[in-house]
Amino acid sequence: MSNDDELLRIEGIRKTFPGVVALDGVDFDLRRGEVHVLLGENGAGKSTLIKMLSGAYRPDGGRILAGGEEVRIHSAQDSAHLGIATIYQEFNLVPDLTVAENIFLGRQPRRLGMIDRKRMEADAAVLLERVGVQVSPRARVRELGIARLQMVEIAKALSLHARVLIMDEPTAVLTSEEVEKLFSIVRQLRADGVGIVFITHHLEEIAAIGDRVTVIRDGKSVGEVPATTPEDELVRLMVGRSIEQQYPRERADAGAALLSVEGLTRDGVFHDISFEVRAGEVVGIAGLVGAGRTEVVRAVFGADPYDQGAVTVSGDLIPKHDVNAAMTAGIGLVPEDRKGQGLVLDQSVEENLGLVTMRAATKGGLVDLKGQRAAAARIAKQLGVRMAGLGQQVRTLSGGNQQKVVIGKWLLADTKVLILDEPTRGIDVGAKVEIYQLINQLTAGGAAVLMISSDLPEVLGMSDRVLVMAQGRIAGELSAEQATQDSVMALAVSTPSTSSTPTRATTAQATTAVEGHRGH
Amino acid sequence: MATDTLKSTPGASGASVIRRLLLDNGALTALIVLVIAMSALSGDFLTTDNLLNVGVQAAVTAILAFGVTFVIVSAGIDLSVGSVAALSATVLAWSATQHGVPVVLAVVLAIATGIAAGLVNGFLIAYGKLPPFIATLAMLSVARGLSLVISQGSPIAFPDSVSHLGDTLGGWLPVPVLVMIVMGLIAAFVLGRTYIGRSMYAIGGNEEAARLSGLRVSKQKLAIYALSGVFAAAAGIVLASRLSSAQPQAADGYELDAIAAVVIGGASLAGGTGKASGTLIGALILAVLRNGLNLLSVSAFWQQVVIGVVIALAVLLDTVRRRSGATPVAAGTGDGKGKQALTYLLAAVVAAAVVGAMSFLHSGSSSATDRKVGLSLSTLNNPFYVQLKAGAQAEAKKLGVDLTVTDAQNDASQQANQLQNFTSSGLGTIIVNPVDSDAVAPAARAVNKSGIPLVAVDRSVNNADTASLVASDNVTGGKLAAKALADKLGGTGTIVVLQGQAGTSAARERGAGFTEGLKAYPGIKVVASQPADWDRTKGLDTMTNLLQAHPDINGVFAQNDEMALGAIKALGSKAGKSVQVVGFDGTPDGLTAVKAGTLYASVAQQPTELGKIAVENALKVAEGKSVEKSVMVPVKVVTKENVAGFTG
Repeated sequence: MSNDDELLRIEGIRKTFPGVVALDGVDFDLRRGEVHVLLGENGAGKSTLIKMLSGAYRPDGGRILAGGEEVRIHSAQDSAHLGIATIYQEFNLVPDLTVAENIFLGRQPRRLGMIDRKRMEADAAVLLERVGVQVSPRARVRELGIARLQMVEIAKALSLHARVLIMDEPTAVLTSEEVEKLFSIVRQLRADGVGIVFITHHLEEIAAIGDRVTVIRDGKSVGEVPATTPEDELVRLMVGRSIEQQYPRERADAGAALLSVEGLTRDGVFHDISFEVRAGEVVGIAGLVGAGRTEVVRAVFGADPYDQGAVTVSGDLIPKHDVNAAMTAGIGLVPEDRKGQGLVLDQSVEENLGLVTMRAATKGGLVDLKGQRAAAARIAKQLGVRMAGLGQQVRTLSGGNQQKVVIGKWLLADTKVLILDEPTRGIDVGAKVEIYQLINQLTAGGAAVLMISSDLPEVLGMSDRVLVMAQGRIAGELSAEQATQDSVMALAVSTPSTSSTPTRATTAQATTAVEGHRGH
Repeated sequence: MATDTLKSTPGASGASVIRRLLLDNGALTALIVLVIAMSALSGDFLTTDNLLNVGVQAAVTAILAFGVTFVIVSAGIDLSVGSVAALSATVLAWSATQHGVPVVLAVVLAIATGIAAGLVNGFLIAYGKLPPFIATLAMLSVARGLSLVISQGSPIAFPDSVSHLGDTLGGWLPVPVLVMIVMGLIAAFVLGRTYIGRSMYAIGGNEEAARLSGLRVSKQKLAIYALSGVFAAAAGIVLASRLSSAQPQAADGYELDAIAAVVIGGASLAGGTGKASGTLIGALILAVLRNGLNLLSVSAFWQQVVIGVVIALAVLLDTVRRRSGATPVAAGTGDGKGKQALTYLLAAVVAAAVVGAMSFLHSGSSSATDRKVGLSLSTLNNPFYVQLKAGAQAEAKKLGVDLTVTDAQNDASQQANQLQNFTSSGLGTIIVNPVDSDAVAPAARAVNKSGIPLVAVDRSVNNADTASLVASDNVTGGKLAAKALADKLGGTGTIVVLQGQAGTSAARERGAGFTEGLKAYPGIKVVASQPADWDRTKGLDTMTNLLQAHPDINGVFAQNDEMALGAIKALGSKAGKSVQVVGFDGTPDGLTAVKAGTLYASVAQQPTELGKIAVENALKVAEGKSVEKSVMVPVKVVTKENVAGFTG
C-alpha cells in the first residue's frame, strides 16, 4: 500500500490539552507534486495538526510516516531534517535584520569564519527573484509590508529545499493581486515536485489551487474530497450543516450621523479624509494594503495623532490623540492585529472581556470583580465563545473565538461607533457568519459600524456604503447598489487627486499605480 | 494570578489538593524542601525564636520585593529600591534628629521621598521613554549619592519613637515581621482587587492592547513606580529602625535580592505574571538560606556559592513545573504522571544537593557551649580582616575552641541578622567586628539580653555592653600617618588623600586623625580628598584621575594599603621617588611594597594579634574569668628601616 509518491502520512493522530481534545483520530497524507488543502473551522484542529509536523507539539497517540517510515518529530530541527518547512500566520522573521539575513538565518554562507555577505545577498536575490518579489536583500524586514514579509518567508522555505511546504492561511493578509502572484509560485513549486499543505478559509481558492481537500471538524478528519467539490458541499462538510447565506446583512434604517470625520490629514500618510457614519449603518472601507485605511481609523480612535481635521461624535468634537476621549464618546476599535493589539494573550477570557469596562467598574480604586465576572459570563454566552471556562487563557482560544472576545469587550462598554479593522481575517466561515450577525444586532440597536476589510466579497456583502481609499485619499464612495468588485477595484488602483494639493504627480501614474505607497 | 490554572479536578482529596498546591507553586516546594533540610541539619533551626528571626531577616527584602513585584508584573524593572530605601531613612533621621522636625512629619517626609523618587522613575520611563533599566539605574546612583550628601557620609541616629519599629511586641512578636505581613497584604490587595493592580497585569501582558482598551498606560506607570517608591521607603524605615540608625550605605545591593525574591516567587521578567504570596515565599527562601547557613557555620565564602546555586535551582524547579504544565497534558494520563514524577525527582535532587552541600561544608561540632565562639566580621573582602580571621582561627585551634566565622559584607543589617542567628545557636561568647559602631547597637543589646557575653574587635560597640574591646586606635594611626608623611616631605608640599568607603567608621576616624596630625604642619596642603572605597582598582582609577588635575603633588595618604597599592600603580615610576605614599593596615602586600620602596610607610595594625587576643578574651569571658575592659593593640609606622622585624 505504500506509494512511492507519498511524502507524508498521518494515521489516527491524537492530541489533548487540559480540558480540550484538540485532535481525535486525524488521518492525512501528502503526495509529491500536489496541493493538499486542509479545511476546517477555527478551532477544528488544523493549526494543532501542522504544529505536530513542525515539531512544536508532540502527538499523544497515532503515528506519522515520512516516505513510508515511522518518524518522531520532536523539534524544529527534526522537522527540517525531514524537509518540512512551515510558514505560519505569524511570521518567524527578525525585524531588525535584513531580508538576506533572515532568509539564511543560522545558515549564513561563510568564508574564513566570517559571514560572506556578498554571496548571501546574491543568493537571496536569486530566491527573491524566483518568488517574484521586488525587494532589496539589504532591506530591513521591519520596513516591509505584510505581503512582502510573506514572500520573504516563502523565499526562506525555498532556500531550505523543502520537500514539504506547509502554508497556514497564506492568503489571509494578501490582496487579490498578491494572491495571484502567490498562486503562481505555488504552482511552480508543485511542478517541481514539492508537496504543499495549504490551509485557507477562502473556498474559491480551493478550486483555483488545490488538488485534494481534507476536511477537519472538531478534531476529526471527516472526509477527503477532490478540490473540484462544490463549495456548498465543502461548507456542509466543514460546519456539519449548510450555511444559508454567507453575508446575512439585514439593513437597518439609517438614522442621524453618529461619527463625522472632516478633512483628516496626517502629512505623508493620509490626506483630507472626510466621511460620516450614521446610526444603524455599516460603512465599509476598501482599498489596497498600504492605502492608509488602518492609519485613518487609528487616528479617528485617537490611537495615533493627526495634523489637521476634526472628528465629531453626535456633534461633539473629540480631542485628537486621546483614546479615552474617543472611548468616552462611544467609539470602539477592534484592531487589525488581534494578538498584538487586541488581546492580553496570557490573561483569561474574563480579564480580556473586562479590560475596557474596568475603569467604569472601579469605585474608590477597587474593581468590582464580581460584577466584571457576571458581565463577562453574560457576553461570552451571548457571543457563543467556545472555551473551557472564563478562566481559560485567550492565547489558547482559536482565532474566531479570540476575535469574539475582542468585540465582546467593546459590546460590554455600550459602544455606539464600532470600528472593525479586518474583523474576519483568519476566521472560518462559521465564525464569520456569527460575527456578521453580531454586526446586524449592533446596527439594529442603533449603533454605527465602520469596517475595513481586504476581503472584497465581505465588503460588498456587508456594507451599506463603501468608501474606497487609494494612496492615502478617499478615491470614491459607492452605495451598496453601485459597489461591485470591478467598480471598487477601479477606484482602489486609481490615483485620486484633490484641489487642496495642486502639486500632484502626473496622471500617467493613475494607470500604472498598482500599490499605494506611503509618502512620496 | 487568576488565570493560573483551571480548577478542574472534581472530588480532589486533601492529599491531592496539597500535591496540586505544591506542583502549582515550585517556590513553595523549594521553601519546604529547604526548611526540612535545615531542620534535619541543625537542631537550632526549628525553634520559635529562630523562625521569628528568619521572619525579621526576610522583612526588609520582602517589603522591597513587594514594591518591585508591582513593577515587574507591569513588565518593568526597578533597580533603585535599595538606594531609595537608604535615602528615605536618611531623610527621616536627618529631619527628625538634626533639624527637630516632629517625628510624624519626618515619617511623612520619608514616604514622600520614596514617592518622589518613584515619580521621577515613572516620568522618565512613561514620558521620557527611557528603558526602565536605565532610568532606575540612574536613580540608584542619584538616591545613593543624595543620602551620602544629606548625611555627609555618617550614620545618623534614628529617632527613638520610630526605632520601636525594630522592637518586639509583647516581648516576642517582632514588629518588622508584622510590618512585612501588613505590607504583603496591602500588595496582594492592590494586585488582586484594585484598578491599578489589574492594570499592571494588562500593561505587563500587552501594553498596546491595554492602551487601545482605554487604559491610561503612562499615568499608570507613574503610579506603579511611585508605589514601588512607597514600599522602598517603608523598607528603609524598618531597616533603619532595626539598627537605630540611618546608614547612608544601607541596603546596598538589596535591589538584586528583591528582584531575585520576585522571580523565585514565580513572576516573569517579561511581565504579566506574579503574585504577592510568591514574592513573600521568595524572600523567605533567601532568609532561610542565610539563617541556616549561619547556624550550620558554613564558611563565609561558601555561603555565597550556596545562595547562588539555590536561587538558580529554585527558579529552575519552577520553570520545569511550568513547562510540564504548559505542555498540555490531559489529567490522569500516564504522560502526566511522568511529568509529575519529573518534578518530584527534581525536588528530590535539589533536596539532596542542599543537604549534601551543607553537611559537606558544615564543620560538625559537638563542643561544650562555653568553648563555642561566634565571630561576625564586617567584611572578608579586605586582606586586613582575612588576617584577623586567620589569627582568630589559629588561636581557636590552639585553645580547642569551636569558632564560627561569618561575613557581613559591610552591611550593618546583615550583621544584625548574623548576631541574631548567633544568639539562637547556643554559643559561649560572641565576638563582633562591627560594620558600624552605632548601627550594631540594637543587635548588640539583644545579645546582652540573651546573657551571652559580647567581645568587640577592631571597632567599638556604642550604647551596649561589651565584656572587652580589642582594637587598635584608628585616630592615633591617622595622626601617625600624617606625621610620617609630613616629616618625609620636610614639612612642605601638596598631597592628596584617598578615602575609604564613605560612611564607614574607619574612614571617618583615620581621616579625622590625619587632619588632626597635619595641623602641626602648616606647610602641607591637601589639594584633594576623594573616596576609593578601600579598593585597589578604585584606588588606581581615582589616583589616575587626580593626577590629571594635580600633576605636581608630592605625597599621597591612602586610608588603607589596598588603595595605596592602587595609587602606586597609577603613579608608576614616580612612586617612592617624587611622590611619597603612605598607607594604612600593614597588610602583607603593603609590607612588600614598603620593602620595595614604592610605599614609603604603612601604619601597621596587627590584625592577627587582634584576632588572637579577641579569641583569648572570648574564652576567658565564657569561663567567667576577668578580662581587661579595653585592650589596645599598638599601631606602628612601618618603613623600610623597620619592616624586616615586623610581622602582622
